[in-house]
Amino acid sequence: MSMILFSLLLGTPIAGSILCALFHKRRVLEIITVTSSGLTFLSAFWLMAKVMQETTLHSPQGWWYADGLSAYIIIIVSGSAFVVALYSIGYLRRQIYKRKVDAPKLWLYYLLLNIFLFTMMLVLLSNNLGFLWIGSEATTLATAFLVAFYERESSIEAAWKYVVICSVGITLALFGIILTYFSALHVVPASGNALHWSSLMLVAKELDPAVLKLAFIFILIGFGTKAGLAPMHTWKPDAYGEAPAPISALMAAGLVNVALYSLMRFYILVDKAVGGGFASTLFIIFGLMSMGVAVPFILLQRDFKRLLAYSSVEHVGIIVFALGIGTPLAYFGALLHLLNNAIAKILLFLTAGNVRMAYGSRIMHKVTGAIKVIPASATLLILGVFAITGWPPFGIFVSEFTIISAGFTSGNIVPAILFVGFITTIFVGFIYYTSRMVLGEPHRPVKGSDADSASLLLLGLLLGALLMLGVFIPSQLQQCIQNAVNVLKG
Amino acid sequence: MGIIHLSTIGLLIDIFAAAILVTAVLIVSSRSLVFYIRLFALQSFFLGAVALLVVLGYGETHILIAAFLTIAVKAIAIPMVLTRVIERIQVRKEIEFSINITASLLLCAGMVILSDSVAQSILSSQHGDAPAVSRVLSVSIAMMLIGLFIMMTRKKALTQIIGLLTMENGVFLSGLSITYGMPLIVEVGIFFDIMIAVLILGVFVFRINKTFETISIDSLRSLRH
Repeated sequence: MSMILFSLLLGTPIAGSILCALFHKRRVLEIITVTSSGLTFLSAFWLMAKVMQETTLHSPQGWWYADGLSAYIIIIVSGSAFVVALYSIGYLRRQIYKRKVDAPKLWLYYLLLNIFLFTMMLVLLSNNLGFLWIGSEATTLATAFLVAFYERESSIEAAWKYVVICSVGITLALFGIILTYFSALHVVPASGNALHWSSLMLVAKELDPAVLKLAFIFILIGFGTKAGLAPMHTWKPDAYGEAPAPISALMAAGLVNVALYSLMRFYILVDKAVGGGFASTLFIIFGLMSMGVAVPFILLQRDFKRLLAYSSVEHVGIIVFALGIGTPLAYFGALLHLLNNAIAKILLFLTAGNVRMAYGSRIMHKVTGAIKVIPASATLLILGVFAITGWPPFGIFVSEFTIISAGFTSGNIVPAILFVGFITTIFVGFIYYTSRMVLGEPHRPVKGSDADSASLLLLGLLLGALLMLGVFIPSQLQQCIQNAVNVLKG
Repeated sequence: MGIIHLSTIGLLIDIFAAAILVTAVLIVSSRSLVFYIRLFALQSFFLGAVALLVVLGYGETHILIAAFLTIAVKAIAIPMVLTRVIERIQVRKEIEFSINITASLLLCAGMVILSDSVAQSILSSQHGDAPAVSRVLSVSIAMMLIGLFIMMTRKKALTQIIGLLTMENGVFLSGLSITYGMPLIVEVGIFFDIMIAVLILGVFVFRINKTFETISIDSLRSLRH
């Protein structure tokens, strides 16, 4: 039974990739991609229902595994992929119309999008830490040509930087995984299972703490690079800035969460094996550092998509910080924030895409008076910015507030004060830039038009979801997050 | 093992590990791209030899395939691809350094000493006699550091690829030395990823060359902030 689910979640994007490789008609590629990501999204709900009943799912030999944590993140990631697939239809049609994209490019885009989804599922369903690594490196490789998609000098530069930095990071993580394997070889009975996360958890207390501490440092650097934690975040503004808007959205809402998921798996293991707040202290430090590093770059930014990339660095920092606080309340806040941030990032990157296409520029001082030119996207943009900077009544306010109160009640007073300081400053920077973009008069007549109404409706729905999460959290969602919190508690 | 005595195997592993370290240091002191690639091929060949010795000495047959893959992919296929890349783009073969050779070699010596102390602390956790192959852990960590050093101080796009691959060889060697390698299917997956990564980076080198007329990463400076 569990094998059917694993096959569905992994097989659907593979089938999508193969079909995309075979067909070249635009219409067919669109249908394949929307169907494959949609089916994956549906299967994710099925997985969640199953996990609710049985707590954990294993494949017969334990290579694949799912629990409350993976099911929750699989829903977020596959949902992001589905939304991005839907939006890509209108986006690419407009790009073709403007002759920025030709037929072979379109084919490559949809093919790589399917492969990208598959590699993310590979990470999220792997029980074997070696597979988890293989999947993580594969996500970088699947997105390399998507980042370089427009083949400008700057986009090839960004893609080069992206692949090289992430590969170096992930190579260091592999050393961390080997050290973990080493610490387990003499403990886990059947050594073929010594790389399975679930087997390692059973014997966590017997693993050598000294080796595991060293392993965790390498893993934190490696997967931290993939997640874009400071100071390993330098690829992020380039890659997010240069990739097509839907790809940036999926990287910020999907890939980031996949990398955070990998970090969480090791965090649970090392915390159980080593204890003593070793892993959590590192998380608090790196989390705050990421938030702090984002501040000056957000305050002195010219490019809107790079602004959003630094916001992603900030929010990864927020989540890692909350995981480091380590109380059930903080875990709840972190996981809720994961969802909120994913929705808000998709909304903002896609809206930024609309603005960019209308003005032909993503340099912020060239964009003014958007409310007169593209009223719908401009409204979405300003509301989205209020949402991402943590204003009520949007969801991020609730998750950030939860994390701050968890920080204070757990006695981490100074970190919590720093946290509040960072998000307040970032809010000021964000509102300053976006209000200048949205309000006022356009500098010059702008010929561009807004996105099609279906795409705008999709974005409106995302905003509605953020609004709903700020007002109340449905009991089913609460239950899902609670299950994931239980996994994080170890 | 009947054919060769275990201590002979240990000695041979030590010799090959030393040779691997020598190739890494020679890469640091080399000025020519062609030399870089040949040294890397030689390094991978020695690495494959160490893997074969692990099979012979410790009966870990699952490493056999990884050993052949190391020689086929890293000692033959990847160097061939990279050599073709240089021929096609006819790059100026001199490498510019941001740190001169003498200082680089001194730093490398420091890294080797550092690696040895890290390796000792990792191995000290093991009780009883460690097998001979675990002695090469310090070499593997030194290779990761030297690979990273090459990437940070050598300015050509191709030297970055070689630096990354040297790190990767170091990680593979560390797996051999302390865990007799990962499970086979995981090793195969890792090789697949490395192959694809080199191909993708190779394509980017062409494109960078096309758009910048040079493959020095110094020209990749338009993205700031």
